[in-house]
Amino acid sequence: MASSLLNTALSVAAKDLRIEWRTKTAFASSIVFAVLVLAIFYFSRDTTVVSELDIAPSALWVTFTFASMLGLNRAFLLEQENRAIDAILITDVPRTGVFLGKVLGNLAFVAVVELITLPLFALFFNVPILRPLPALLAVTAMATLAFVTVGTLLSAMVVRTRFAELMLPVLLLPFLVPPVIGAVQITAGLLAYRPLSDFSGWLRLLASFDIAFVAACLLLFDATVEE
Amino acid sequence: MNERVPQISTTIRLSVRGLNRRFGYRRVIRNLTLDVEAGSVLVLIGHNGAGKTTLIRLLAGLLKPTSGTVTREGSFGLVAHDSMFYDSLTAKENLRFFGNLVGSAESSRIEELLLVTGLTEHAERRVEAFSRGMVQRLTMARALLHDPELLLLDEPMTGLDDAATTTVQRLLADLASRNRSIVLATHHLPEVVHLATEVGFLVSGEMKALEPIGGRDSRALMDRYRELVQNG
Amino acid sequence: MTNSNPIERLLKRGWTLTIAALLSLVAVYVRVVYFTPVESTQGPAQKIFYVHVPSAWAALVAFAVTGIVSLLYLKRRDEKLDTIGAASAEVGLVFGAVMLTTGPIWGKVIWGAWWAWDAKLTSTLFLYILFVGYVVLRGAVVDPEMRARFSAVVGILALILVPFIYFSVNMFRTLHPEPPVLRSGGPALPGSMLLTLMLSVVVFSVLYVGFLMVRYSLSVLKDLREKRAADGIS
Repeated sequence: MASSLLNTALSVAAKDLRIEWRTKTAFASSIVFAVLVLAIFYFSRDTTVVSELDIAPSALWVTFTFASMLGLNRAFLLEQENRAIDAILITDVPRTGVFLGKVLGNLAFVAVVELITLPLFALFFNVPILRPLPALLAVTAMATLAFVTVGTLLSAMVVRTRFAELMLPVLLLPFLVPPVIGAVQITAGLLAYRPLSDFSGWLRLLASFDIAFVAACLLLFDATVEE
Repeated sequence: MNERVPQISTTIRLSVRGLNRRFGYRRVIRNLTLDVEAGSVLVLIGHNGAGKTTLIRLLAGLLKPTSGTVTREGSFGLVAHDSMFYDSLTAKENLRFFGNLVGSAESSRIEELLLVTGLTEHAERRVEAFSRGMVQRLTMARALLHDPELLLLDEPMTGLDDAATTTVQRLLADLASRNRSIVLATHHLPEVVHLATEVGFLVSGEMKALEPIGGRDSRALMDRYRELVQNG
Repeated sequence: MTNSNPIERLLKRGWTLTIAALLSLVAVYVRVVYFTPVESTQGPAQKIFYVHVPSAWAALVAFAVTGIVSLLYLKRRDEKLDTIGAASAEVGLVFGAVMLTTGPIWGKVIWGAWWAWDAKLTSTLFLYILFVGYVVLRGAVVDPEMRARFSAVVGILALILVPFIYFSVNMFRTLHPEPPVLRSGGPALPGSMLLTLMLSVVVFSVLYVGFLMVRYSLSVLKDLREKRAADGIS
């Protein structure tokens, strides 16, 4: 009796999160990294020339993406240790479900990092995030889905090489460009109290990016684990 | 001791035809054909590098053949060289996770298997604290969760303490008596020879011979192996 | 003994094509320098355009071929497709490098800035980085079958990414327009200049095909040598 797609995904995600909770190493690195990056951005600007509002959106998104990248590889690295993934692959659970589970686990991980970083960001940069908060969260969710999905798929391949930590950023960076440009533009606008409706073009770009890449990654995952 | 109970009808649990597998330019498995019937215990003998691990992985579907087919009827379990466990999870958590994937995660079933493998008092300990023997017993427990019709094992006896060896032997004998099929690759013959109903001799990726055990002991089998290696 | 003659013939033809294209390139550039009118606003420096645009075109064709061949590979699992994809990616990196160096040179002369984040150059830069990643990934995977599979996955993802990069950079540019001087001579080119451009594009295309044939043949020959060596041992 095989698990359905969703059951498999939830099982895998729950298992991954339980393991991460036991060790917390990736999580701790990501948070520390995020705080450091935010601080560096803050202190390195010339206050007479650059206002907080100018630099804030970029600082936020660089922090989100790079801190998240620190944690993306763990999802497949924990399968490499003892080849546990083999024990999953020999069952007849849908492999798409396994990938979905990995993405969900990574999304949960990144979401926690982002939710901790966001208030720190508001504090450091003295920017008003409360009023546009729902819209901000929506945009963050869309852009995060984009880079976490692609990052998870790339990680499935990259952990089989010797330079997983180096290779992931190199391969992932170009895929960050469309969602991050959109996210930064919208974030900048939201922090200046512009309505979300002003950014329909960017929102369409983000949505179509999400749809295209989630679909593509779900389809391509099988090719990364079969041998 | 290992006479097969006469079957009224035999079912083929595993069927392999013309199996080939390359890695880069090396042919690791060459033109292999075999059938494993229900109740059969096939022991595969081969020197290091003969392709035993590759063959088991091919039989399990973890490797795709370069050419040829592998067909399995019904469910199967795998005991491999790597433990395939999550070190930071407990024995019970590991079994529950894999049990969920095969639809066999009831507490009663998990407890039964922990009992049968002698791991009940270690159920809540993390796998990273387990000895090799304990890990292997847990691997057997996982493989048997869904009571598979076929069990594939790759060198299951390597590095085991006596308790673990006995447990594994007992479990395999029990499986065989219930008409389950077993394919076991090894070069530790003495520990498994009494269970075998058939023997396959793997030399450099080729199955040089596939014969009934014919009541032979491990020494006779090793002689036969050497004979097959020499004849080229 | 495997017959490598068809491959060696392909290699020879590839070299012939490449040399013919290179010679034609010289002819085209004689035309560029001496027989094509000088553009009024930008002066003689504009002539870099006749190298810049065709190399961009060739790089894009090369990357597109890799993307399409990646899709085909996952369906057919023919290792020749993987070899073509890899060869095309490498050739694309060469043309891309030309495009990415002529772009800033042209920019420096025209606008006084090496890099102005214009839509086309920026998009190509990101695509270039992606294919550098593609080649690095190939280098990091030892098993040929896994390497082919992983390359195909990245190739397909790259194919899907291209329109998104283009649209996002473009959308950014409509908000923050490029320097007005940068109009890289679109279709509104006078006849003589258009002809020169077209000739250059054709020659670059032939050069791409020549390079591809050579690179592909060299790959296959190397594989054959390794196969012979492996067969000899085992």
